[in-house]
Amino acid sequence: MRLWVRYFRYAFANISNNRLVHVVSTGTITITLLLFSAFVLFFANIDNWVLEWGQSLSMSVYLKQGVDEKAKQKIKSVLVGIPGAKLERFVSKEQAMEELKETLGSQAGLLDGLNTNPLPASFEVAFGAPERAGIDIEKIKKKLENMPGVDEVQYSEQWLKRFEGLVSMLRIAGLVVGGLLCVAVLFIITNTIRLAIYSRRDEIEIFKLVGATDWFVKVPFLIEGSLQGVLGAVIALGVLFSTYSLLSSKTIQVFGLPLLHLVFLPKGHVIFIISLGLVLGLMASFIAIGRFFKLFYY
Amino acid sequence: MIQLFHVTKRFGANVALQDISLRIRRGEFVFISGPSGAGKTTLLRLMFGAERPSEGQILIDGINLNRIRRVKLDMLRRRIGFVFQDFKLLNRKTVFQNVALASEVLGERQSITRKKAHQILRAVGLSSKEQAYPLQLSGGEQQRVAIARAMINNPLILFADEPTGNLDPEITKEIMILFRSINLRGTTVVIATHSRDLLENTDQRIVTLNRGQIVS
Repeated sequence: MRLWVRYFRYAFANISNNRLVHVVSTGTITITLLLFSAFVLFFANIDNWVLEWGQSLSMSVYLKQGVDEKAKQKIKSVLVGIPGAKLERFVSKEQAMEELKETLGSQAGLLDGLNTNPLPASFEVAFGAPERAGIDIEKIKKKLENMPGVDEVQYSEQWLKRFEGLVSMLRIAGLVVGGLLCVAVLFIITNTIRLAIYSRRDEIEIFKLVGATDWFVKVPFLIEGSLQGVLGAVIALGVLFSTYSLLSSKTIQVFGLPLLHLVFLPKGHVIFIISLGLVLGLMASFIAIGRFFKLFYY
Repeated sequence: MIQLFHVTKRFGANVALQDISLRIRRGEFVFISGPSGAGKTTLLRLMFGAERPSEGQILIDGINLNRIRRVKLDMLRRRIGFVFQDFKLLNRKTVFQNVALASEVLGERQSITRKKAHQILRAVGLSSKEQAYPLQLSGGEQQRVAIARAMINNPLILFADEPTGNLDPEITKEIMILFRSINLRGTTVVIATHSRDLLENTDQRIVTLNRGQIVS
């Protein structure tokens, strides 16, 4: 215990005596972790957008012309029975025409020439994202299309699947780039801390001269590295949060789709980045000082 | 206390010391002399365990340095003091902190460390400079701080490598008196020097090196 008090005292005294070196090291850690955190934030938002779009997954069941009420009720009861499905509404032929007119706006006059209403009646079904897990939407589509009275079933899964494919590819690329970024961060921090340690080689030499064990010399450096790592991570997250706050106050449009709001990193990710700062600072100091000890037998 | 058996030290193709056999008894005061490049510093570094011999054996207080583990070497160094020509003080620490450091590595209580540091600084005549920084002191005072640091743990052996090389004759005399008093308290003192003045005015044992070999 007495030794640990001494280690911390040495570490804080060293930080105070070598302020410039520590500012440079912490600054480097901040910048590298800021890059990393920005990268994680980007993926957190992509995930969030996919989730939001996933939640809006909808299915339209178009009915044949002149379908009788009995068949309609049967279809309705099947739809209600699908786990996770929520029957949003029934759109009658007339309603469908009204909505089409509304969508066309000033061009609605084009529909005036029609003698009969060609639009089918339909049921609209929505799926919540959590419930979607384990649902084979293609099987449901086939089952419904085989029912009497059902003309066609369309759902928004096809394009979502394609998009999810792209996202999972992005995620793999993200893992690779993130991993490389971590190695780069470790490399940069190791070298920065190594420079800091090198500037204090006299101190290490004198400690070894008076019979200090390797750990007695190393531990304060490891404490300093860990503190730098945590401080760098906290500052990086602070900068990221400020930038996020600035950007999230504006409506972001992606592919013309409005109101895709930005989210900040979840609590777990924040804790992960701070822990990463701690581990990287600790590892970097450990590697740096280990290499340094190899240079001197003292 | 110190025994060397046929010790040779090579740095690549360069032979720094060749077939050195030497015995220094407990409580002895010995000068290692010789011109620059004769191997004096290498010899001290070998006896301190900062270098390993290429051939031969070195025993310090019965411990074979060739077989010693790193942690044991650290423990042994706590019983050995070392003084350098360039003092090797930490300029950002006060005189008191520089001296206390050698006691702190032993893991001793702060109160004991403080007491020991005060005592040893008084013994070397630097009580009034405890809170000064090394660069605020004269060369002689800095060397006294280094000696105080080397002596705080009451070592068995004190090695000094050209301890008066940077000092004027008057201060040199003071420092040598200090070494003599340390020796009288029972510490074995080994001083490497090429200073003729020091060697001419002594009745202590002198081991002379030339080109890596003992010549007298």
